[in-house]
Amino acid sequence: MKKQLIILAILIMSVSAFGQDKFIAKNAYISFYSSTPLEDILGESNEAVTILDATKGEVVFQALMTTFHFKRALMEEHFNENYMESSKFPKAKFKGMIEGFNKDMLKAPVANIKITGQLNVHGVEKTITVPGTIGMEAGKLVATAKFKVTPEEYGIVIPSLVRDKIGKEMEITVKDNYVPFGQ
Amino acid sequence: MKRNYYILIGLFILFLSGNVYSQDLDALLNAQIKPTVNYATASFKASRIINGHSIEQMKKKQLDFRISHRFGTLNDGAYGLYGMDRSVIHFSLEYGLTDWLMLGVGRGSLNKIYDSFAKFKLLRQSSGEKTMPVSVSYLTSIEVNSMKFDTTRIQLTPTTFAPRVNYFSSRLTYVNQLLIARKFNDNFSFQLSPTFIHRNLTKTELDKNDIFAMGFGARYKLSKRLSLNAEYFYTLNPNAKVMETRYYNSASVGIDIETGGHVFQIMLTNSQGMREGTFIPQTTDSWLKGGIHLGFNISRVFAFNQ
Repeated sequence: MKKQLIILAILIMSVSAFGQDKFIAKNAYISFYSSTPLEDILGESNEAVTILDATKGEVVFQALMTTFHFKRALMEEHFNENYMESSKFPKAKFKGMIEGFNKDMLKAPVANIKITGQLNVHGVEKTITVPGTIGMEAGKLVATAKFKVTPEEYGIVIPSLVRDKIGKEMEITVKDNYVPFGQ
Repeated sequence: MKRNYYILIGLFILFLSGNVYSQDLDALLNAQIKPTVNYATASFKASRIINGHSIEQMKKKQLDFRISHRFGTLNDGAYGLYGMDRSVIHFSLEYGLTDWLMLGVGRGSLNKIYDSFAKFKLLRQSSGEKTMPVSVSYLTSIEVNSMKFDTTRIQLTPTTFAPRVNYFSSRLTYVNQLLIARKFNDNFSFQLSPTFIHRNLTKTELDKNDIFAMGFGARYKLSKRLSLNAEYFYTLNPNAKVMETRYYNSASVGIDIETGGHVFQIMLTNSQGMREGTFIPQTTDSWLKGGIHLGFNISRVFAFNQ
């Protein structure tokens, strides 16, 4: 009976411990950028949502494709209609683990990290490892990542007619300020 | 033994709760995503289906430069190179003042028309948080026929004439059109365009000043960058046949080819005019008699926002 109580107590404690160790950013920034001599393309979203689980160093991201905005309205239309097929694949998702994570990383100044996980874009899921940073900056928990993907990897077909205007690689930039979950 | 059993159960529950928890992270995230309104975009590739306006318009600070040609009729035969010898042209500049208001000015060689229009977005088709089955826009336009008046006198009897005063207002045609469109799926969109046209001065007394028409337009996407379009304007009170001139409803088929910043529209139509005041009440060629014009619209969009 005593043992059962102990187990129960541990369970309750562990659950409540989880509750205190989650961080969220509701207006995370994600951009993708490609540059060619003919045209620069920059799509930006400030409406991505991400949660960091500080017990394991796990992060999840979600961004609606329609929250990406462009200078040229036609680019935005083509992005959704022709390339991302946003009505079929409305979200981009990422779920990964920070390599060698320990809780102190969240209290230390910004330092380089590596994150490995599954990136799901255009309905195609790939395991990627991306460089990033995490840590305290001006009293805020800040995380960033910058990496490159190619449209072809995610089944996005670029016709030869516009191939010269769209870079072979897209540079993805992610930036967010985490706040404790539930605040 | 019993103790091990407890520990095992405990570990199992812990393991399970951990698992539940990691699924929870996704569930937690999904709970944070606010329900969104999904607006239907790109019901048509351009601001025109073929001759008539589509529900689409330029977004804020985007400028559309349009060049359109309509050649003569195919039944001009080899002598007129199947219509190529006589083409009419229309230029226009169309600008998105806001996301819901587009203003345009243009000049057409047929009847030497100057035209201006305003297109207002009233409703947007949407699903999700808010549901709206159709997109609705209102188009209003004024066309100025700048041809020289054919006469400065009125014939009273076979031999006596009186001077005729020609007013500027006689050159004006007003167009009012409601555009009601629905994008049924990624490929198919349909539009109804109830139209009212008022002409201050008509060619003959038999021609009507007020014209009511219903436009039907559709597009079907053949691929991401190619679509098949069709358009028909049914005139409810057509002009009577005046001597040898008969008026027909405007019927057109065409394809849109999209290449980044350009949209090419290539069409076959029985109308040579490219503005509502011309092609709706004044189409004088018939498909059945080979009165078919080959034509094209080119749209080039420039962005002026920072």
